[in-house]
Amino acid sequence: MMRAVGSIAFAALLLTLLLVPWLAPPALIQFGTTTLLLATLAQSWNIIGGYAGYASFGNSVFYGIGGYGTAIAMVQFGLPFGIGILLGALLAVFFALLLGLPVLRLRGHYFAIATLALAEAMTGVVSNLDIAGRNIGLVLPLRKGDAFFYELSLGLLAVATLTVFWISRSRFGFGLIAIREDEDAAGVMGINTTLYKALAFLLAGFFSALAGGIHAYWITFIDPVSAFDITLNVMMIIMAIFGGAGTIFGPLVGAVLLSSISEILATEITGMASLFFGLVIVVAVVFMPRGLTDLMQRMPGLGWRYFRENLRLHRL
Amino acid sequence: MQPILAVDHLTKRFGGLVAVDDVSFELFEGQILGLIGPNGAGKTTMVSLISGTVQPSAGKVVFQGAPIAHLPAFRRSRLGIGRTFQLMKPFPGLNVLDNVAVGALFGTGGGKRQLGEAREDAAHWLAFVGLGHRERQRADELGGPDRKRLELAKALAMNPRLLLLDEVMAGLHHGEIDEVVSVIRKVQSRGITVLLIEHVMKAIQRLSDRVLVLHHGTKIAEGAPDAVLNDPQVVDAYLGTRRV
Repeated sequence: MMRAVGSIAFAALLLTLLLVPWLAPPALIQFGTTTLLLATLAQSWNIIGGYAGYASFGNSVFYGIGGYGTAIAMVQFGLPFGIGILLGALLAVFFALLLGLPVLRLRGHYFAIATLALAEAMTGVVSNLDIAGRNIGLVLPLRKGDAFFYELSLGLLAVATLTVFWISRSRFGFGLIAIREDEDAAGVMGINTTLYKALAFLLAGFFSALAGGIHAYWITFIDPVSAFDITLNVMMIIMAIFGGAGTIFGPLVGAVLLSSISEILATEITGMASLFFGLVIVVAVVFMPRGLTDLMQRMPGLGWRYFRENLRLHRL
Repeated sequence: MQPILAVDHLTKRFGGLVAVDDVSFELFEGQILGLIGPNGAGKTTMVSLISGTVQPSAGKVVFQGAPIAHLPAFRRSRLGIGRTFQLMKPFPGLNVLDNVAVGALFGTGGGKRQLGEAREDAAHWLAFVGLGHRERQRADELGGPDRKRLELAKALAMNPRLLLLDEVMAGLHHGEIDEVVSVIRKVQSRGITVLLIEHVMKAIQRLSDRVLVLHHGTKIAEGAPDAVLNDPQVVDAYLGTRRV
């Protein structure tokens, strides 16, 4: 019975989401598209950060590569968008393997710092490439109407989420979780840790790049500084963790909630927006470090003790 | 008789420290070899060299007739080598059943493909080690003795041919030690070969077919349990030189 009600509610939600471009005002469609792309990024970070436990600051690199791949294919070679975005995603997958194999040998903070450096390096490299328009960037052909981009983003988010759903109940996913929990024990139990980490990095890169491609075509402009902006990577991490990293729906919930809060704050009380946003994050990380998903599962049973326990378990 | 495991002039140096110094021994199919020695003798390093978490400085490890010292840990576990960790390594965020299911999903020959089958296997091994009633608990909620049992169940679920047990009885009281001893007997009766590191001499005496003693990384004695445990050199190594 509960299952049936749940399925119907889920189907209704999906249908509503699908129909947004025909029902909502343009501003809401644009907000929706941005949120869907952010949710896709949070979901792809979830694969490498949430499941494999590797805090990647390099996902915005794949986002940038996806955008640039699409832009270069369309502007410099006159290829259609569909082919351009696929080329961008392939380029990102290639980079994920190339960079992942050395960088994934590092653990913890060292991995985070190395991936952070990648993002900085990419800005420098792309700013000096003629084919990428150097530091000025590229202007993509215009496609009118937001509905196309909205539906595309929704589709991409759905595929990314289905992938995570599959991961969560597959042998591959159990391997990733084992790596996150204890990498040495995982190796001794027969898990090819190098291969699994590389595959997780590659999947995360693939979805991030597709989001980057859609975004570049939608905005019709791409430049090195905004394409490889590290703030975007920080956003996806915060959204994934706020909602619940290593869960199927956590990153989506985190993305929708934080994106909405930031939108409301930005329009109502502009100057204070980032301050409030920062406060929300600090409070959330201190009192519910395992995210909203964990809060909803365990707080009903534990009550206020839930917060006290988190404080006790996760203090430095 | 062909040994299932042959360690041949194996040496491991950590900088200036020689943790394992030119040690050779053989382990025969279906037998239990007790590995004893004072703290710091190189017992855990030996297990790590066999399981592949540490690479040797010199020497060979031969498993079922094939050299394996160059293989990464995951390949050795697929060949059929399972181990427990003295400093236990549960997957804390997973429940007890899924901790063991990881062993069944991977392990010897690449393990089970389907999560459902792996969980059935895991439930079987949890019952085998007497942890069936804790399936749904998170691994980090278990107490010390139950964590030892969990280590054992995880290694068994890998369906190993050779099981390396690194102090699975440390910190257990008498009754619990008897339980683990009978579990290891049951493991042996399934044809699994065991290398048993232990400080609990009663268990070493009852279980081992042969005993090997390490001291400062070198082998100082090997043979039948009673003979080895009464060897004056071994007694000295454990208790210090008699000054009377």
